[in-house]
Amino acid sequence: MSEMAPAHLALVGREFPGGQYTLEPWRAWLLADALGDDPGDTQPHPVMAWMAAVGGMGITWDELFAWFDATADDGPMFGEHQTTLHAPLQSGVTYRVSGKVTSVDRKTGRRAGTFDIVGYELCLYDGQEHVATCWNSLVLPRRRGA
Amino acid sequence: MNVTVGSRLPVHEVQVDAGAMKTMAALLGDPNPIHWDTRVVAELGLGERPVNQGPLNMGYLMTMLARWAGGRDRVLDFRVRFLGNVLAGDRVRAEGTVTGLRVTGAGQVADCEVALKVIGGDTALSGTASVLVEPLRSGDHHTMTPVAVNETERER
Repeated sequence: MSEMAPAHLALVGREFPGGQYTLEPWRAWLLADALGDDPGDTQPHPVMAWMAAVGGMGITWDELFAWFDATADDGPMFGEHQTTLHAPLQSGVTYRVSGKVTSVDRKTGRRAGTFDIVGYELCLYDGQEHVATCWNSLVLPRRRGA
Repeated sequence: MNVTVGSRLPVHEVQVDAGAMKTMAALLGDPNPIHWDTRVVAELGLGERPVNQGPLNMGYLMTMLARWAGGRDRVLDFRVRFLGNVLAGDRVRAEGTVTGLRVTGAGQVADCEVALKVIGGDTALSGTASVLVEPLRSGDHHTMTPVAVNETERER
């Protein structure tokens, strides 16, 4: 069963404050090590695109949840994620980050109850070059009928 | 590289380590204690083991793709759905199968189905990915423009 979430539909198109994220070599090293991958590979791991996107989106997770009258205590979950790399990531580069909310949908499941699915997209730019697009969906349980 | 539709990618297995979750939490500035404080995990009724971060789970699949394709810069597109948790101490297996081959402006691209499975447990992630398996010229980095990526998306 699916229906729109009228209370938050107006947030579709709302832009993130955005900002910058420097892909520091030490961060790339530690990430690769945490993944059990080769930290000596100087080509940044592609999951750094997501890290750069959320690192430069300009608000905290709690602030993002609050846009939708939700909190961390509601148990928000990742739904889906997509990264599209238009050009290779580069260590040492400072990326500009911008993005917006792309969708809000309300659904009701027999077991999960009512929940909202919020889609948002963040883009990385190196100067004028569009390097990556990260699209995500957040699942926000609405147990309290928010 | 000899790739055909139906080819299985070499699996990539990882022993999930609680220490790596602490590193990731620090890198992300992630204050959620379910990734590093076992007392909170227990208080929340989530058992005794910390819950792995979603980006780490994604990263295992990306590592598999990059190793197979010949480099981290070969991963062009990656989309997954989060289906379940991975816990510290779990062993996970990243798997993939080639579902299509296309020639794009960057070279030959393989479309794949991918999944991250907890060995002895459930599937944690599943989705699709596109990787550059044969650049136009040996040693080239891909230079796919957004237009080129969109065109390849439409070709699916």
